[in-house]
Amino acid sequence: MIDDMRELAGRVVGQLRHRKVDYGDARVENTDLESLTMRKQRLEEAELRTERGVGVRVLVDGCWGFASCSGFDAGEVENTVDRAVAVARAGADAIPGSVRLSEEAPCTGHYDGPCTRDPFEVPRSEKLDLMSRAADLMHISDLITMSWTSLRFERKRRVLGSTEGTLVSSDLVFSMPVLNAYAVENDDMQSRGLQDGARIAGWEWIEEADLIMWAEKAREEAVMKVRAEEGPTGDMDLVLDGTHLSLTMHESVGHPTESDRVLGWEASMAGRTFLGIDDQEKLRYGSEMVNFIADNTLPYGVASWGWDDDGVPGQKWYTVRDGIFQQFGSVRETALLVGRRRSTGCCRAQDFASFPINRQPNFYLQPGEDGVSDDDLIADVKKGIYIEGRGSFSIDQRRINFQFGGDMFWEIRDGRKVRPLKKVIYRSRTRDFWGACDGIADSGYFRTMGLLTCGKGEPMQAARMTHGASTSRFRNIEVGRGAE
Amino acid sequence: MTREELLGIVEAVLDSARVPDVVAAITEDRTAAVRFGQNRITQNMDRFERKLRITLGDGERKSVYTTHRIDLDAVPDILSKAMEMLRTSSPDPEYMPPVDAGQVYPAVDSWVPGTAELDPGGRTGAAALAINTAGAREMEASGLVGTGWGATALGTSTGNLAFHRSTQAFMRLTLDSGCASSYRFLFSEDWEDLPVEETILQVADEVEADRDQRELEHGEYRLLLEPQAVADLVPFIAWSMNARPADEGLTVFSGRLGEKVTGNDFTLYSQVHGDLKGEPFSEEGLAAKDVTWIENGSLRAQPCTRYWAGETGREPLFIPGTLGVSGGEGSMRDLVRNVSGRALLFRRFWYIRFVDQKELSLTGMTRDGVFLVEDGRILHPVKDFRWNWKPLDLFSGIEMLGTPESKGRIIAPAMAIGPVEL
Repeated sequence: MIDDMRELAGRVVGQLRHRKVDYGDARVENTDLESLTMRKQRLEEAELRTERGVGVRVLVDGCWGFASCSGFDAGEVENTVDRAVAVARAGADAIPGSVRLSEEAPCTGHYDGPCTRDPFEVPRSEKLDLMSRAADLMHISDLITMSWTSLRFERKRRVLGSTEGTLVSSDLVFSMPVLNAYAVENDDMQSRGLQDGARIAGWEWIEEADLIMWAEKAREEAVMKVRAEEGPTGDMDLVLDGTHLSLTMHESVGHPTESDRVLGWEASMAGRTFLGIDDQEKLRYGSEMVNFIADNTLPYGVASWGWDDDGVPGQKWYTVRDGIFQQFGSVRETALLVGRRRSTGCCRAQDFASFPINRQPNFYLQPGEDGVSDDDLIADVKKGIYIEGRGSFSIDQRRINFQFGGDMFWEIRDGRKVRPLKKVIYRSRTRDFWGACDGIADSGYFRTMGLLTCGKGEPMQAARMTHGASTSRFRNIEVGRGAE
Repeated sequence: MTREELLGIVEAVLDSARVPDVVAAITEDRTAAVRFGQNRITQNMDRFERKLRITLGDGERKSVYTTHRIDLDAVPDILSKAMEMLRTSSPDPEYMPPVDAGQVYPAVDSWVPGTAELDPGGRTGAAALAINTAGAREMEASGLVGTGWGATALGTSTGNLAFHRSTQAFMRLTLDSGCASSYRFLFSEDWEDLPVEETILQVADEVEADRDQRELEHGEYRLLLEPQAVADLVPFIAWSMNARPADEGLTVFSGRLGEKVTGNDFTLYSQVHGDLKGEPFSEEGLAAKDVTWIENGSLRAQPCTRYWAGETGREPLFIPGTLGVSGGEGSMRDLVRNVSGRALLFRRFWYIRFVDQKELSLTGMTRDGVFLVEDGRILHPVKDFRWNWKPLDLFSGIEMLGTPESKGRIIAPAMAIGPVEL
């Protein structure tokens, strides 16, 4: 199939050259998806999808034009090329175009994401049996009133061809298990679940994620949580696990370091950033032990596509080094505008029907030195809370003022986890929070979360990226309760 | 494709499927829009998608298959994929056949030919006006302006056939001076109805009024919500209303059907064909109807699946894509003039999330304009801040309601809400 798609992309590029656009590219995509969802112990949904189509992007007189069509019909595709050129011309007629792309050598090649066992070849009975066993385990307790168990598999084949001579393709399999248990007692409801998200991987990721272990854990901890007391409030220390920090860093580091935000291109929707262009390589973002590494070559990372939608190869760089902000993630159009010669390769579209925009890369908080455990971090806390997993989350549009919950909470007193809690939230400001980090566990405590649904842009696009961290400690953070 | 061509493929699927229960739907969607930011056009797009969704059932099991491959020749192959999924699904103890024959679908007139066929120059012209106005006033414009249309043809093996199409025109606009901003969302079925020029000038004036923001002082304030701010909160109530999760103890509405959930001045409804134009049928072909969910503060109805309706003796209901909050008469300016004591005026909210689903407690930020009001006069803008509120509590303290305004598929009035500690 990839060969046919490469041939189609090549044909569209020929049509673009014939129309004498300043630049043009064609994205040809085919996505097969299988989604199985159990509500309690019943299969609520079994869905297959085959999505395919072509997106055409052109530059005419410095103005973008983009058009897309579903399906691979030759007539519709050529019509799509004409529509892309027509809207670009209309834009150039209204406002002088100013788009300049950073230099990039044309690439050719193919990238296969890692996949040991193709999930589409795994018998459906094996998948449903695993889900049923997990659901049964969650519902052993009568307090578990509701549960969700789902498996999602996606095979995305994509080809990008451009008038500069790029012709690249990738074949990526995404696998994602989800499991959540909801306990109800005394007019309260609390949930607990598996939140590691997706990986570019096959069935092996489902086995490694261990739904059976998680079903037991989710049941026990959901019940524990619904019976727990609400936590203390006030300033105290936090010890946060990797799945929890994955979301905190996504919101307070990933988004503010997107180059389109500093330029104001998201001002009407996702918002701006507190960072300025001149803050690169200067501004203190966190304590000296804070290092954020962006890596679009991370093998199982869901943003590791080989090349981005500008045709720029996956790269690895520091976003924050020794606590100092280094550089924005960029696309070819924004790189020059934020003072860089080359794009970091962060240009990605949700699908063939979407205009590619500046998205977060995979990135992670670099683990601490060997020999530091999460118990070591807890041992040095007199009064605090240990938080696992994601809960409520909200941040202002400049990415300064945030509030996060979690999925499981434990009170820490005099260096020990002493009891479960519920309804804990904490509030902080981005640089204060990362500046308060004074302990990071070693790589043995590293956990990742693969997100498939980061919303940004207008019309809204969902993007995917993987974050990771080892358990880390933060001093004197404001802790509250629910809506208080 | 024409209405006849779309329905022809739906009927071909229904005729060819070798199982008793089938629902087939084709949707077409075209969206053309210009995105702008930093006083430049950043995207200019024209997207088209056609999709076929088939639900098969054999009386015990069901499956869904969705594809972009749509033509009469492809039907046998598409059905064989869907059949393979059906064969390997597990039996469903809550199996429901397709909706009964004889569904009467409301006629919803929401198609404006001029909007469906709008020339790209209309959209880029509107974007250019926003950009040039902003540039002349030392501001930056960002937003999205566009038009589009959608069509759905649906059939069920029980004999229902339905077709609906609609157009839309929209503009989201933020103007920003670096230290102040304002925002507006315009939406209509008809491009000609969008007051583009007037709105750009208004929003620019609002930015001027938003300069010199001060920190919020702690204390008690009445809340004055512009229609957009009300529209930002309402979906969280709607998402919590479903009957089954409520019956299972998972939401704030558990066991509260027929009871007061807000004050008397709050009424929440959905409309299919009126000021709000909704979808005339659901994904499974159930006919839509107008529903009042919360009437004068009492929970009157809840969205409910056909299965759960059968189990609990309720009527199957769904939200047809629209939500309306009843209002009164008067503008935001009237509400400001008539509010007593100290109040805060909010233009819109941002990044609202559940803090606790069971309590229906939310957190969020203010955005694009907060103003201190005292005894009917706007004194000065206030810096954005975080809030943690329960919307049912807020809507229990309504003191005044303005004239409802359309905010996309939501229609909402300006509101004055009794004192809240901030």
